[in-house]
Amino acid sequence: MVGHIKLAGLIAALLVIFLPSFTLAQDVNFGVAPAEVKIDNLPPGETTEFELTINNKDEIAHVFTFTTFQPPEEEREEGMAEFPDDSWISFSSPEIEVAANSQANVTVTAAIPQEQKWAGEDWEIWLGVAAESSDVLGIKLYVRLLVFTNPVVGSKFNIGLFAGIAVAIVLLGYGGYYYFRRKTKPE
Amino acid sequence: MKVIITSIVVAIILALIFSLPALAQDSGTITITMTGANEISISLDKTQWPLGNVASNTEYETSPPIEWCTLTVEGNCNVNTFIVGDDAKWVSNPGAYKWTLSNDGTNGEHIYGLWFRISGDTARGYVPITKTQGEFWPYSGGSGSSLAPGDTKQFGLRLLTPTYFVSGRQMQTQITISAVAA
Repeated sequence: MVGHIKLAGLIAALLVIFLPSFTLAQDVNFGVAPAEVKIDNLPPGETTEFELTINNKDEIAHVFTFTTFQPPEEEREEGMAEFPDDSWISFSSPEIEVAANSQANVTVTAAIPQEQKWAGEDWEIWLGVAAESSDVLGIKLYVRLLVFTNPVVGSKFNIGLFAGIAVAIVLLGYGGYYYFRRKTKPE
Repeated sequence: MKVIITSIVVAIILALIFSLPALAQDSGTITITMTGANEISISLDKTQWPLGNVASNTEYETSPPIEWCTLTVEGNCNVNTFIVGDDAKWVSNPGAYKWTLSNDGTNGEHIYGLWFRISGDTARGYVPITKTQGEFWPYSGGSGSSLAPGDTKQFGLRLLTPTYFVSGRQMQTQITISAVAA
């Protein structure tokens, strides 16, 4: 009986010593899909969305943070220019907690201002996903985002255009009425 | 009355003739392509380097020096990898005291150096880690190519402590290894 108690005490002591070490010795392992996203024909003035999937392959939950990164020219794909403004890219949440051996999605929105100068451009920016950690080594995975804007500026509801059409209709109608009225008037 | 209606119909037709082509130009289809549904993923088998008390102006290396940590490409696409460091901050009050990471691996008062070395990379040897993201593998001018799924790279770290620092403070830094599809 005394022997059993001593053994139980020894096991308890080992757990206290080794459990923290085991937790700290976890490696970092996660994935992001897709590795590259290509948006074709995006007209300036329009907004589009897509999802990134974060796959936490670790045995513990992690908080993942999202950032954008302007890659140097030599790292960009051929023919791609620097993305003009990071603020045009947004994430549905700046961070997300993903349980052990689980996946989660984050929605990325790309919104290009409605200006002619942004039409017909080819841009590249990287979307960074990192696991928050206080360890000396950390991992960040980048998704390449390639954006090809439409040569034509997008159309939201253009009140000026519709007002112009309405005025044109009235003027033409009045002009037509006046013309035919004069024409049919007996001399 | 008949003339009025005819005039308005003609006006509407004319207005539409001029406005519709302009509106039609904006109706292009936005295409989003998720290239191959590939997953990018790398892993590190070691993420901690507890040094304990350190002396000023002294070099410390991981053990084993250049095979301390293994980077493995876990996803299903080839990757290019990078490395970036940061200032070391006082754990108790990060805003109050730090060691600045030098941009060439050298040290100074409250300035420290960090280096990495990849096993088998005899051409570069130890390479300074700076606050600007630099190439880990492959690197410009080298003969190496992008890392394929299943590929591994072993590496180690070297720390050069400041020539002078405030003692008795626990300092912490982070080195980030990043990857992008090649």
